[in-house]
Amino acid sequence: MFLAIWRTELWHPISVHFPIALLLGATISFFVSFFHRDGAGKHWRSAANGMLLGGCAAAWIGIYTGDLADGIVSRTICDPTVLKAHELASFTMVYLFSSATIVNLLAFTSFIRVSWKKVMHYLVFVLMITGSGYLVYTGHLGATLVYEQGAGVNKPSADCTGFE
Amino acid sequence: MKTFKFLSLFSFILFLSACGGEKTDVVESGTYQGVVHEVEADKNEIYVKTADDKILELYFTETTKLTRNGETVPFSELAEGKKVEVEVTKVGQRLDPVSVKILE
Repeated sequence: MFLAIWRTELWHPISVHFPIALLLGATISFFVSFFHRDGAGKHWRSAANGMLLGGCAAAWIGIYTGDLADGIVSRTICDPTVLKAHELASFTMVYLFSSATIVNLLAFTSFIRVSWKKVMHYLVFVLMITGSGYLVYTGHLGATLVYEQGAGVNKPSADCTGFE
Repeated sequence: MKTFKFLSLFSFILFLSACGGEKTDVVESGTYQGVVHEVEADKNEIYVKTADDKILELYFTETTKLTRNGETVPFSELAEGKKVEVEVTKVGQRLDPVSVKILE
């Protein structure tokens, strides 16, 4: 019974909750850091940087596992247009957070003037806020696929054969 | 300044490219002619662009027949730009390809 859940399409729900938590956490930490000028601000920013980097990597893993699941669940669900919308929103989200990660990393380099670093931090925050919007929308569509259309869900027979 | 401009431009390009995904269309059951717009061989999936600019996303099933001149051919015969005639059945909002004929 335990081994029966190791289906290819299930790698996606296993992996996607990491970027959801990390990227939303990064955005909140980044936001909070603007309100602290002292050492606490640095801690919030450090936490945000770590979660952004880890969340971005996890998001790309989610894209990969989603692509694996796509070819399987598309043949069974009743409205694949929702799946397509989920896919498009996820790509928008991952590009936004990737942009935020790249700009954020470059802001640490020495060839950026200090005056521009602040502007870059605001740019990163705008990208993260927009990305978070797409992240929530992507998650909503993913949940719709599972709970409304049963994507990737095993449907037991009416007489529960296989559960004796 | 140059670096900032580059970063802004790079982010903007990434954002635009992210928004550039193509939506697919749902049509009624029937037979349609079009051109293969994209092939995803690992998923046995094709996108067909019809004459009225609709894009049909078709996942081959175990019963989908792929033919050319009446003979069954492997999926690898499909390539971008090839003209095809597809017979689809609409199940819910899903399009199941019954047959795909390569016309050239």
